[in-house]
Amino acid sequence: MHIMEGFLPVTHAVGWSLAAAPFVGYGLYTIKKSVRENPERRMLLGVAAAFTFVLSALKLPSVTGSSSHPTGTGLGAVLFGPTAMAPIGAVVLLFQAILLAHGGLTTLGANIFSMAIVGPFAAAAIFRLAKALKLPFGLSIFIAASLADLLTYITTSAQLALAFPDPIGGFFASFIKFSGVFAFTQIPLAIIEGLLTVVVMNSLLRYNARELQEMKITAAQPAEA
Amino acid sequence: MLTELSAYTNRWRQAPPAAKGLFSFCGMAAAFAAGSPRTALLVALILSAATILGAGVPVLRYLRVATPALLFLLASGLSLVVSLDFGGSTGGLSAHLAGAELPRIAQVSCRSLACLTALLFLALTTPLVDIVSLLRRCRLPDTLLDLMTLCYRTLFVMSEAVHETITAQSARLGYATFTLSLRSLGGLVANLSVQVWQRSQVLQLAALARNNDGALRFLGPDYPNPARAVSGAAVSGLLLIILAVTLP
Repeated sequence: MHIMEGFLPVTHAVGWSLAAAPFVGYGLYTIKKSVRENPERRMLLGVAAAFTFVLSALKLPSVTGSSSHPTGTGLGAVLFGPTAMAPIGAVVLLFQAILLAHGGLTTLGANIFSMAIVGPFAAAAIFRLAKALKLPFGLSIFIAASLADLLTYITTSAQLALAFPDPIGGFFASFIKFSGVFAFTQIPLAIIEGLLTVVVMNSLLRYNARELQEMKITAAQPAEA
Repeated sequence: MLTELSAYTNRWRQAPPAAKGLFSFCGMAAAFAAGSPRTALLVALILSAATILGAGVPVLRYLRVATPALLFLLASGLSLVVSLDFGGSTGGLSAHLAGAELPRIAQVSCRSLACLTALLFLALTTPLVDIVSLLRRCRLPDTLLDLMTLCYRTLFVMSEAVHETITAQSARLGYATFTLSLRSLGGLVANLSVQVWQRSQVLQLAALARNNDGALRFLGPDYPNPARAVSGAAVSGLLLIILAVTLP
């Protein structure tokens, strides 16, 4: 759920852009450093951005008959790392704004902050925590992807509530209102995205073990998945 | 993609991206400067007219691109109309229409609409490769521009792979039930994830074969009378901002 073009006041649009800039800047710095050591990483991350864009255009199956799209934040964070996801997400959100009129240029900073920073970092942190707690790999992936998805929408709700506090209830009432509106669609979608991410990772582990070893993902994960 | 189709076939395809970017930026500035919903709507109308009548983007295509965003704007506007009260006169949670907020909500929605038309002006008249070359002139980091270039050049290939896979899966009833859909989609994304590595390795080989070891640079097209076009866009944009500021 992106914030619409022109929806945020100027101060908020600029503020969220400034908040997102250091993460994108640091992400670019780490990518540059990594590309200097491994030149093939540049192509990998460029293609990964295209993959994330295409992923966000896929329709998720829904039990209610409606459809929505995966954010890919959980999967992206596990496959490419949360630091790299900030610039990748920035590129994807810019492309979504220009190619699909989804999101916007004035709200790019706010959308980057929720979808390309909070989501991936939350996914990576939850996944590490789940691994430290020795939870099964599939469950760890499910929790990380679902909660990252939910946290993305909670951040969007907070951003909207900050910009449009309720005239009576203030920020809190507005936050409850926006998160309540999103909850109807986003809780089922977060669960479906979590399940999808588990299916994806299991499928990768089962059929593409060699590629995963090349990706250096299987080495970091337990084999019982 | 409809936006790219328009971007490559509109009347202003040969206008420099700097001119179109500047006019779009001025359109957004005018949208934020508009003091009333009526003025913001006027800005939206002028920007839409510039896209449809000026650049020659077909009305139906314009509406097809704008409709999802307009529906989203409607939902966003409606969400602001409802106000929640915790522990007010009733002592519990109550929801009511924020009648006093309606002028502000109308202002936000019309501003958003005007900004959307400014975005559509840029998206429907300027191919993404031109926007990337414009950003390169604005001195954005090479790493970010390389990401954009590679992303743009690969996303159509990946989209094609997705469509072919979905066709093959659907032919085998892969999306007949919810469970099958989830499994098929999981297989599709997993296969796509592996392609990321495979395709990037092939691209790296291709780049090495051409002695590439730095930023990906491409020759940009030459635009006729770029200075005239940019100054024309600056004057039009400035007039739009003045109009938005002066009108009540």
